[in-house]
Amino acid sequence: MFKILYLFFFALQCLLCTSSTNAEIINTNVERLLDLSSQLVKTTIKISAEETTGKPITEYVFLVGEPNLSFISLKDDTEKNIQLRKNKELINGEQSYTIIFAKGSPKKSFAIETVSSKNIRPHPEEIEQNDKQLVRYNGRLYVYSKYKTVVQKTNVKLSSANILSHTQVKPYTVGSNKINLGPYEDVEALSEQELVIHYENQTPFLTVNALERTIELSHWGNIAIKEEIQLTHAGAKLKGSFSRYDFQKEGRSDHSAVKSYKTYLPASASGVYYRDTNGNISTSNMNLVRDFIELELRPRFPLFGGWKTKYTLGYNVPSYEYMYNDGNKYQLKMHLIDHIYDNMVIDEAVIKIILPEGCTNVQFSTPYQISRRPNQLVHTYLDTIGRPVVTFSKSNLVESHISDFTLNYSFEKVSLLQEPLLVSGFIYVIFLFTIVLLRLDFSITSHSHKE
Amino acid sequence: MNRTPKMLNSKVAGYSSLITFSILLIAWLAGFSSRLFAVIRFESIIHEFDPWFNYRATAYMVQHGWYKFLNWFDERAWYPLGRIVGGTVYPGLMITSGGIHYLLHVLNIPVHIRDICVFLAPVFSGLTSISTYLLTKELWSSGAGLFAASFIAIVPGYISRSVAGSYDNEGIAIFALQFTYFLWVRSVKTGSVFWSAGAAISYFYMVSAWGGYVFIINLIPLHVFVLLIMGRYSPRLLTSYSTFYILGLLFSMQIPFVGFQPIRTSEHMAALGVFVLLMGVATLRHLQSVLSRHEFRKLFFVGALLVGATVFIAVVLLTVFGVVAPWSGRFYSLWDTGYAKIHIPIIASVSEHQPTTWFSFFFDLHILICAFPVGVWYCIKHINDERVFVVLYAISAVYFAGVMVRLMLTLTPVVCMLAGVAFSGLLDVFLQEDSSKRMGSAMSTIPETEDQEDSVEKKTLYDKAGKLKHRTKPDSPQDNGISSNLKSIVILAVLMLLMMFAVHCTWVTSNAYSSPSIVLAFHNSQDGSRNILDDFREAYYWLSQNTADDARIMSWWDYGYQIAGMANRTTLVDNNTWNNSHIALVGKAMSSTEEKSYEIMTSLDVDYVLVIFGGVIGYSGDDINKFLWMVRIAEGEHPKDIKESDYFTDRGEFRVDAEGAPALLNCLMYKLSYYRFGELKLDYRGPSGYDRTRNAVIGNKDFDLTYLEEAYTTEHWLVRIYRVKKPFEFNRPSLKGNERVFPPTNFISRKNSKRRKGYIRNRPVVVKGKRTLK
Repeated sequence: MFKILYLFFFALQCLLCTSSTNAEIINTNVERLLDLSSQLVKTTIKISAEETTGKPITEYVFLVGEPNLSFISLKDDTEKNIQLRKNKELINGEQSYTIIFAKGSPKKSFAIETVSSKNIRPHPEEIEQNDKQLVRYNGRLYVYSKYKTVVQKTNVKLSSANILSHTQVKPYTVGSNKINLGPYEDVEALSEQELVIHYENQTPFLTVNALERTIELSHWGNIAIKEEIQLTHAGAKLKGSFSRYDFQKEGRSDHSAVKSYKTYLPASASGVYYRDTNGNISTSNMNLVRDFIELELRPRFPLFGGWKTKYTLGYNVPSYEYMYNDGNKYQLKMHLIDHIYDNMVIDEAVIKIILPEGCTNVQFSTPYQISRRPNQLVHTYLDTIGRPVVTFSKSNLVESHISDFTLNYSFEKVSLLQEPLLVSGFIYVIFLFTIVLLRLDFSITSHSHKE
Repeated sequence: MNRTPKMLNSKVAGYSSLITFSILLIAWLAGFSSRLFAVIRFESIIHEFDPWFNYRATAYMVQHGWYKFLNWFDERAWYPLGRIVGGTVYPGLMITSGGIHYLLHVLNIPVHIRDICVFLAPVFSGLTSISTYLLTKELWSSGAGLFAASFIAIVPGYISRSVAGSYDNEGIAIFALQFTYFLWVRSVKTGSVFWSAGAAISYFYMVSAWGGYVFIINLIPLHVFVLLIMGRYSPRLLTSYSTFYILGLLFSMQIPFVGFQPIRTSEHMAALGVFVLLMGVATLRHLQSVLSRHEFRKLFFVGALLVGATVFIAVVLLTVFGVVAPWSGRFYSLWDTGYAKIHIPIIASVSEHQPTTWFSFFFDLHILICAFPVGVWYCIKHINDERVFVVLYAISAVYFAGVMVRLMLTLTPVVCMLAGVAFSGLLDVFLQEDSSKRMGSAMSTIPETEDQEDSVEKKTLYDKAGKLKHRTKPDSPQDNGISSNLKSIVILAVLMLLMMFAVHCTWVTSNAYSSPSIVLAFHNSQDGSRNILDDFREAYYWLSQNTADDARIMSWWDYGYQIAGMANRTTLVDNNTWNNSHIALVGKAMSSTEEKSYEIMTSLDVDYVLVIFGGVIGYSGDDINKFLWMVRIAEGEHPKDIKESDYFTDRGEFRVDAEGAPALLNCLMYKLSYYRFGELKLDYRGPSGYDRTRNAVIGNKDFDLTYLEEAYTTEHWLVRIYRVKKPFEFNRPSLKGNERVFPPTNFISRKNSKRRKGYIRNRPVVVKGKRTLK
């Protein structure tokens, strides 16, 4: 009898287990920080999860819940031995990531950072020259989760105190440039509620449409970096006419127009140039700040909404800071992309690494996924067989993507002599040719003309 | 006894060729580096106006290949007409730099085509000085040649057209000109087919490079003609001229832009006439050897007169019947300086077509212009076949340079040559002293001279060494009679003069000819810092980035090439002023009222209007100052609508302030220049709307634009761009569907596209050719 009862309970338990393995995880507390003060949406979500049955949690599925996700990572101060893995299939049309814990325990708390671009839209889409730029954010009031949430709240940080309207679900409080939403209790899994905030945002809405970064490596001690940048002001478009008179009269800097922005270069950068197809752009300033160079770039014209510009920025850095070698083995460690302006958005970046002639065994690793493009050959000064070029691309990048790649290759040091030998050989041949030529007589007649 | 002089001679020859080589190299380097002021002060950039077209054409050729370039129809110029570029340019410049680009890229030297274009003229200046050396050596002596080479390397008259970035035809054409003349003189001297064929090939290069080839094809026949008159006929002359003429004629006709002009236009008829005459003379000479002297003399005069008359009448008749085109307007203006002013205002409006002032002769040539007559006198005194040539060259070039500032360029090489002859002659006299005594010591001076840095001093001392051959001659006529003190004084004076010449050249180059003119720089008087005004490129780059790709931009023709080159947008008129009526139409639009010009602008599909306005910074080359030319050119074609007198006050003044003529204060150019300028206060005390260029408070301050709106104005207001509104934007505001009182119905006309006009049954269908892809 007991045995039967035991079996029955066991079966029931198994049934429960199989039918609702996931549902037993609940979010006990979720705190979200939504930073809308720039053109990017930066969220930090702190989640405390609990397995109701007391089993250890080994996997947690995190739903992104935002379009145009650029960057996601676990925040540093959480446990070390957890991993983030992207899931292939979508859940309810949303991207999802699985967090894998090496050590399982029934209670887990962790923080996730995400950055997404283009979720703050100018509203109205067109403004006149002196109007303020108003933007609208459309998002989710509740953190989109696969699991039930007991308590959650959201702190929204805005760029200004000028808030025109926002979704009003009680309880909420409005501060000078922030809104606190919640706490909301007992939010069901996958529940959706729209969050709309309409506010003033004068920060530059610049987008890099295309970045082509070329890193040219030389074993003579120099690395040349060239970035070709196509830039658009993606904020509210300029309506009607532009007036230089008004622009000069205003003088204040809270225009939505972008007059200048700052680019940070490595401290050792030298020979910086800033130009476009028409030549040098003479309006830029360079300051050496303690451990980097601050370059204040002014485009040829102020960028109003919808205006575009395109330029090339280049500099040299000494190679000993980035290149390591052991015999014939070399390693290059550099930033995949570099800072262009604060809170930047890059739609598409193509990165080319030109290696010295005669490099073999090229191996390449990056901190995040990129799409490799076919290798090329480039012929430049004194090249014979051409230099190998490693090319790859990546779309939708933000500042958080600035991190190092590693490139390993092998190179025979003797090949360094090839170029000087080529030059001296060429000059030698020219002299030889001249000597022989001057001693030959090509005249077809016997007499020579008098000088 | 016999051996030592020979050894000494070969040693001297070795040293003298070393010296020659190093002087030419130094001249090349000096010429090259003194042309780099603009690159060092600004950057490697194409200058001014015409070079921008040449650069654009070269870039096109490099990108698309030679045949595409030859067939290039540029739809971005002269909207809506377009321009057949391949057939309307002298392609020599593009081929030269394209060839260099190709060669460098074959050798894996990835130099950008812009840098090749920028540095082409300085590099060719070195070649010019070498060919000047060769030519002067043929005419006089190698010492004079070295003088001439050093002069032409740094003389401002040539630098003005060949600084780095001034990528224009003249940069390579002067080399081709000098080299052709060298080969011609060589061929006259030797009578060899080889050299005259070489001259023809060099002439071909010149024809492909510059319209100034007409100068060669008239000067060489003139030389032949004068030689004939002087009784200096020789079989060598016959060989060289007939070879040169026939080959040169055929070659020159290969250039698409020249085509059949060499046999159809008056400019080329002199060459033909001289050719016929030379043949006649040659025949007579042949007869002379057959006939007796008396018979021959008769026959000669009769024959010469007859042939001359026949040729003249034939040319006149052919011109009358229209087989041969009469002189073009630009050539007329060479004979009658007032011609252009009356008949072709567009030629007269260009400052470089104005007559030359005395000042600019000195400014461009300095002491060379004083030494030059001496050289002419030397040449006349010791006349021979080739010196006849240089005398003719000198006389004609002086005339042309007096007529047009621009033709100063053709005068400069001959002035350098003859000044070289003069200085060499002078030093011949005053450096004679110890020629016989100091055979060895002359050589010992050589190491010293190499140490000296000053190129001018080098010239003279090297020249001395170059003169060694002359000095070794036993009997120099002016050997004695001059005291050594006087000699050293004269030498010092000459050295001083040459030094001042070098200083003057550098100063002029640096101050007058090294401004790219698209980037302006001014020195701040307070802290001495240098400010750069980059408004032109700011505006052009704005156009290229923020207007539609097919936007059409109306501006005065001066800026056409720059807009096409830097903004890559369609222009209505540009610096290739081939269509006067089109330019007049633009001038009319600029000088009419806003309403009337709107009609013209819509008929020309104008999207943007660009004006240059210097009132804020005091830039004098702006459109208001050019405005009277616009009015004049417009008046030439539309005398009923535009009258120049309307734009002057009653007292005949051209002023922009309140007393200005009402036609001026209400014309489009005025409004576009001064739109909202009336509100601008340049400093706290002064009145608002104060124009710094014309030093006046503008007369019409408060006005609004109806048909245009400000699209962009650069930082210093130098370039102002306006957008031409579409008719619905000002006429009636467009209403969206839901705002209309009468909502749009769903009625669809039964006349679909086929039936719209009514149609003819069984009408033959025209099948149009497909547009070919680029």
